[in-house]
Amino acid sequence: MRIILNKPIVANTRQLPAFAEADPSAGERPCALAQCLPGSRATVVDIACSADEGCRLRALGLYEGSRVCVIDSRHCMVLDVRGTRLALGQALTSGITVQPDRLRG
Amino acid sequence: MSSTTTVQRPRTPVGEQLAGGRSGTIDDANAVLRVAIIGNPNTGKTTLFNALTGLRQRVGNFAGVTVERVEGHFRTPDGRRVAVLDLPGSYSLSAGSPDEKIALDVLLGHDVDRWSPQVVLVVVDAAHLDRNLFLTSQVMELGIPVVVALNQFDVAQEDGLVIDVPELIHELGVSVVPTVAKRGEGIETVKRALEIAAGLPAPARRFTLPGVAEGILAPLVGRLVGSGMLPSAARMEALRLLAATRAEPHVLGQTELLREVGEAVTALQGAGFAPHRLESEVRYAWISGVTERTVTSTSVTGSDRSHRIDTVILHRVWGPLIFLALMALVFQSVFTWAQPFIEAIEWGVARGGELVAGWMPAGDLRGLVVDGVFAGVGSVLVFLPQIAILFAFIGLLEQSGYMARAAFLMDRVMRKVGLHGKSFIPMLSGYACAVPGIMATRTIEDPKDRLATIMVVPLMSCSARLPVYTLLIGSFVPPVVYFAGVGLQGLTMLGMYLLGTLAALGAAAIFKRTLLKGPVRPMILELPGYRWPSLHSLAVSVAQRCRLFLRRAGTVILSLSIVLWAMATYPRTAVDATLPEEAQQEQQLANSLLGRVGHAIEPAVRPLGYDWKIGVSIAASFAAREVFVSTMGTIYGVGDRGDEAVALGQRLRAERNPTTGAPTYTTLVAVGLMVFYVFALMCISTVAVTVREAGGGRVGWQWAGLQFGYMLALAYGAAWIVYRGGLALGLGG
Repeated sequence: MRIILNKPIVANTRQLPAFAEADPSAGERPCALAQCLPGSRATVVDIACSADEGCRLRALGLYEGSRVCVIDSRHCMVLDVRGTRLALGQALTSGITVQPDRLRG
Repeated sequence: MSSTTTVQRPRTPVGEQLAGGRSGTIDDANAVLRVAIIGNPNTGKTTLFNALTGLRQRVGNFAGVTVERVEGHFRTPDGRRVAVLDLPGSYSLSAGSPDEKIALDVLLGHDVDRWSPQVVLVVVDAAHLDRNLFLTSQVMELGIPVVVALNQFDVAQEDGLVIDVPELIHELGVSVVPTVAKRGEGIETVKRALEIAAGLPAPARRFTLPGVAEGILAPLVGRLVGSGMLPSAARMEALRLLAATRAEPHVLGQTELLREVGEAVTALQGAGFAPHRLESEVRYAWISGVTERTVTSTSVTGSDRSHRIDTVILHRVWGPLIFLALMALVFQSVFTWAQPFIEAIEWGVARGGELVAGWMPAGDLRGLVVDGVFAGVGSVLVFLPQIAILFAFIGLLEQSGYMARAAFLMDRVMRKVGLHGKSFIPMLSGYACAVPGIMATRTIEDPKDRLATIMVVPLMSCSARLPVYTLLIGSFVPPVVYFAGVGLQGLTMLGMYLLGTLAALGAAAIFKRTLLKGPVRPMILELPGYRWPSLHSLAVSVAQRCRLFLRRAGTVILSLSIVLWAMATYPRTAVDATLPEEAQQEQQLANSLLGRVGHAIEPAVRPLGYDWKIGVSIAASFAAREVFVSTMGTIYGVGDRGDEAVALGQRLRAERNPTTGAPTYTTLVAVGLMVFYVFALMCISTVAVTVREAGGGRVGWQWAGLQFGYMLALAYGAAWIVYRGGLALGLGG
């Protein structure tokens, strides 16, 4: 589901909850991004990190409500965020809560 | 992205819709137009800047910080002169990094240098339009006319993206010019669009906040407008400040403003908003709408290609092996490819010196010109081929997208000593020469990580240490071969390189835990798509680095070389004319100021097992390590090239202490001397570059002084331990 707004854009953030784009059939519980396995897809629910890092992540397209795909997971995690590939340290991925389409196992 | 809007096939050459536009609203066509270029990293911003300005660039630092400031200029098709400031790559105006803070200061008119742009050129990656529009939308609210360069348009096409440019112009309300900067496409159109934009009104915010939020933010906006900010910029700043944690300089001192921010945050929370993410939510909601209407995706070939390459490049086994092979290639190339050019420069400088010597009458003036100026200039120029080759490689790795992968692969190792993965490349470059290695630290965003890397790069054994190692190993380490060509001499050489590397990692860990203490930033790294590099941009960047090196380091090393020449030449003393010429030179050197320095420091070097001659050589090599060998050659009356190096080794082995008759140079002394040179920072060029890269001025000199001091202390301590420890173990013979 995508939000299409007409000009001028009136963005009511209270209508843009983090779960707005989550897959309703997922049925999985939110978890830390660090727990997701390569190949899994998820929707960002919450970003708990310093304000600087939060600003940077949001500017890079990783914000509450955005979709991510885990490409690789080792000491860092490689993600695909709207066509941009991001490498995030474990300290960050542990603080990002996601609603996975499919959980590990 | 969907196909909800009219699809327009892009035209080639791109950006025709603005070609032929005319500016009729500029009051003073002769006035210089100030343009700032901003964009996300990896958008081809620098390539576009290079395409616009060519070599007409001036590089410096933004006042008070180590962030590089590159300014260039060009003329529009109508002949108007345009000054362009290349702002650091930024993902947003959130001022989270020094780069972003500089960009924000310049755009808000708070730049220390009082440079405020009349037009902002936002460089956008056409293949990642949605993410890039975040920064664009912030810039569009600053009250400054904006032109958007839709760069890498060809890549977007290859990736199967169709962008409806007229619709995008309509959505953004600013000029949008598709460009392919690496091929020079769209550049003339950009120039014309900038000229036109200067006479157009500034764009405004393209979305509105919920009424409740607008109402809550109104007092804060009013306060910002009251402090001199344009209403449009004040609205952007108010939204931005909700997520900012630090009180920034232009906000500091305005306690009322900080109070307003706090009150707005509380009120927004009370109204059910999350203030820290309000900005990202409203902007991305607007961006989603824009991309829905302007971009159609027909395939995913581009990301597939990068993904396929990454499966090999970032492979857990192949990735590190490819990385090591590439680094070995870079290292070896800097070592070997530069050699013919270095020899050519040395030959040219020597012939030039001879030519001048032939014209000028013998005397001090000739000595100054030939031995001071020519030798000084030559000692600078010989570094140039290595710098050019190294920066060409770094440029290739950066532009191709591999550099980010290298940082990713090395992050785990570097993090253990408190550094970022990006510190690895400068440290590797240090094996060739510390000067380009230190300059390569510019890719590190965190200022503390960058400074820590600068402080340890000179510990990596550079090529200038090789002549010292070669002389001493060849003379004092027995040529014992253990197996398959691997012998004691080679292992000793390897040991010296390893010692320097381990010391660099250890020193970095200490710096990051003491003077440069700071949280280890978690990795946030964009892995850009793989791209073919732009040769033109690469050539411009390499030329710029070379010019910078020659201008800054060159002036310092030249003047200090002249000082050293004077110290080795004066005062003139009577020498025994019956002695051979070399002996006369030795006598003159012993009586010169430099010789007296050698004698003066002899008590200091005696605990290391050295005599005054080694003291003189060490003193002379403060300018450049390799001078140690040539000074020893002068003292012992032999040259330092070819078979004369063997002769010098024989002389060193035959040297006896005049009092005791014992050999002056033993294997233990030689190893101690090599260890001294592993750690000691004996290179004026490195000092000069550290001064500049550590911030310049007083701060730069302080860091350079600390670097020189700690390395000298380390060198002395290590050499003392080797010598005294060896004696205690009965290895003195």
